[in-house]
Amino acid sequence: MMTSGQHNSANPTRDAASPASTPPPRSEPVGLGRQDAHAVPVIELIDLHKNYRIGTEIVRALRGVTLSIAENEYVAIMGPSGSGKSTMMNIFGCLDVPTSGEFRLSGKDVSKLSQSRLARIRGCQIGFVFQSFELLPRTTALKNVQLPLMYTQATKKRARAMAALDRVGLADRAKHHPNQLSGGQKQRVAIARALVQEPDIILADEPTGNLDSKTGEEIMAIFDSVYSEGQTIIMVTHEESIAARCRRVIRLRDGYVESDTWNDRPSKPSSETAHDKREARLPNDSHRLAAAS
Amino acid sequence: MAPDAHALLSVGASAIEQSDASRSGRLRRLLTLPAKLPRWSWSVAARNGQNVVTAFVQIWANKGRSILTTLGIIIAVTSIITVVSFVEGFGNYMTNMVRGYGTQFMIIHPQRPPSRQSVGLRRVTLNMADVNAVHADCPSVNRISPFIYTGDGEIVYGVEKIDKVPVRGVSEHYQTIRQFFVDAGRFFGPVDVATAAHVIVIGRSVLKALQTDDSLIGEHVYIDGTRFLVIGVLQSKGSNMGEDQDETVMIPYTTALRLYPDLKDRVRFLAEATDEGHIEQADAEITRVLRQRHDLLPGQPNDFIVQRQDQMVKEFETIKTVAGSILGGIVSISLLVGGIGIMNVMLVSVTERTREIGLRKSVGGRRRDILMQFLTEAIVLCSLGGVVGVALGIGISRIASLHPDMVPLETPAWCVALALVFSAGTGMIFGIIPAFKAAVIHPIDAIRHE
Repeated sequence: MMTSGQHNSANPTRDAASPASTPPPRSEPVGLGRQDAHAVPVIELIDLHKNYRIGTEIVRALRGVTLSIAENEYVAIMGPSGSGKSTMMNIFGCLDVPTSGEFRLSGKDVSKLSQSRLARIRGCQIGFVFQSFELLPRTTALKNVQLPLMYTQATKKRARAMAALDRVGLADRAKHHPNQLSGGQKQRVAIARALVQEPDIILADEPTGNLDSKTGEEIMAIFDSVYSEGQTIIMVTHEESIAARCRRVIRLRDGYVESDTWNDRPSKPSSETAHDKREARLPNDSHRLAAAS
Repeated sequence: MAPDAHALLSVGASAIEQSDASRSGRLRRLLTLPAKLPRWSWSVAARNGQNVVTAFVQIWANKGRSILTTLGIIIAVTSIITVVSFVEGFGNYMTNMVRGYGTQFMIIHPQRPPSRQSVGLRRVTLNMADVNAVHADCPSVNRISPFIYTGDGEIVYGVEKIDKVPVRGVSEHYQTIRQFFVDAGRFFGPVDVATAAHVIVIGRSVLKALQTDDSLIGEHVYIDGTRFLVIGVLQSKGSNMGEDQDETVMIPYTTALRLYPDLKDRVRFLAEATDEGHIEQADAEITRVLRQRHDLLPGQPNDFIVQRQDQMVKEFETIKTVAGSILGGIVSISLLVGGIGIMNVMLVSVTERTREIGLRKSVGGRRRDILMQFLTEAIVLCSLGGVVGVALGIGISRIASLHPDMVPLETPAWCVALALVFSAGTGMIFGIIPAFKAAVIHPIDAIRHE
């Protein structure tokens, strides 16, 4: 069980970065988090700067961010465009390296690693979910989910991909091609692809941005269930209603952390439609899966 | 602060532990490398297999474009295969033809050596005295026949007249040496030769050109204004190396020398070795006799050529190889053009699939993985072109061989193998730039690419 004290000890400089808000202890017990994980935060930024050069001009996208995200957190990153949230996601995702400062992923400093090491880490420790799904056309859902495993020496690739598809409730669509799937289904395949490697974190960039609100709700239900199984999720979003579902909201402005608040009472799905009821089965399904495996 | 320090310490300690572990792990990996090699190579093979599958999916998805792109390679390989098949087929046909004459005889004719070596030589001549000396002094030479040749005879029979008929002045032995007999009438005998009789033996093609048949035997024809009695008609031998062997007439060489006195110092002759094993011997003897008669000093080159049939076979083999290589090489340039087409389309493909590249990189694809994927695609595309090209080339050669006037074309296996290797190599060479371009695409830019 994670307490506020431990949280602070793992993240000693948080107050300096966001004086406005010390997150209160979480009142709600979380899902099936790994028991020993609280010792080392999954993500740790220490005075992180990132500058870009655009032409002759240097853009300071991140100007000294210090924060830490622990195992099994559900974080929304918000902020107007140009606030640095995309840059931050890129650094979280090991797609980009900081100009200065330190970025630790599961306790390991990754800011000095080679391109090929970074690719390895992306493949094994990070699951990406994109706004526009990014599924390979002409490739079945199953093969799409298998894609991250292709770059590893993993075994039982097919079975693992099948299990991941089952977790998002699309086992019966394994043989379908992306153009035979609805937007929500595509995003669920993309989530399965992010889950297949059992990554340390899932990074979702506006995962509901291309979906209507009802389908977005469906996707959020999946994120909720994955979170309740112990997954760490970091999500960039513009929508307050989406952010309200998360347990922690980090707001960026001009390259600084503007606020970092805990959300004690995450909102539940707005209405219990028949559709939502169907989705509500998902966690049970995945429990069944976990028990079976 | 105590918990903080503790936390930092523990982090530090774990980092040290980790580096230790990774170091000993590296050592262990090194030691157990042989054991892991099968698994590793299997995984590499599986990944490359996956690349090949991806390549086929991609090629199939862009069928039209793939076909158009590969057309360059297909045409190049088709022409290489066809050209080499032609050269090979004709070469084999020619060598077989030469072999068919028998390799037991040789043709000797006067020839001035290359200019620099011929300094100080007298006029290059070969006359009947030389021929007779060879006949007398060469024990390995069996039969001999002078060969007085002009390609410019004019034959008149009644109102029919034909120009540029090859006239051969030979001895009675010629038919035996060349295995070229009459099938109507008779060949001239020693008496005809000795008396320089005006008798003539006519080839089938000439007979046809004169609009007559075997009934010509016993009639008279005029060669360059001189009257000749037709005593025989030669059997049909067909054509050889584009030369119609039946388009000829034969007269005794003694008669020919009177008819064309200019040729008396430029006599050629055929000499037949006593048997197959004495060809070299006969060659050496003829060379010795002629050098002696022509007063050639040691170090001076021969002013004549002994053209042996077995050497001609070797020469044809050489010509075939050289011609095949040169023609094949010229045609191979079209492979370059095909390769440029491949490169072009791969560059387009990389741009089109930037987002896919970004995705693959963000799910763990390293530069070399992306490089291998696109390189594999280019190689597969070119190899497919190569396979189709080889099939087409062999098909064209087969079809061309069906034509009755065509020699049978043969596609050598080395050419097929080389064409396939070269087309795959073209894919590798021209695929590397697009593949490299794909590999260095930055994942962030790629995933934002529209």
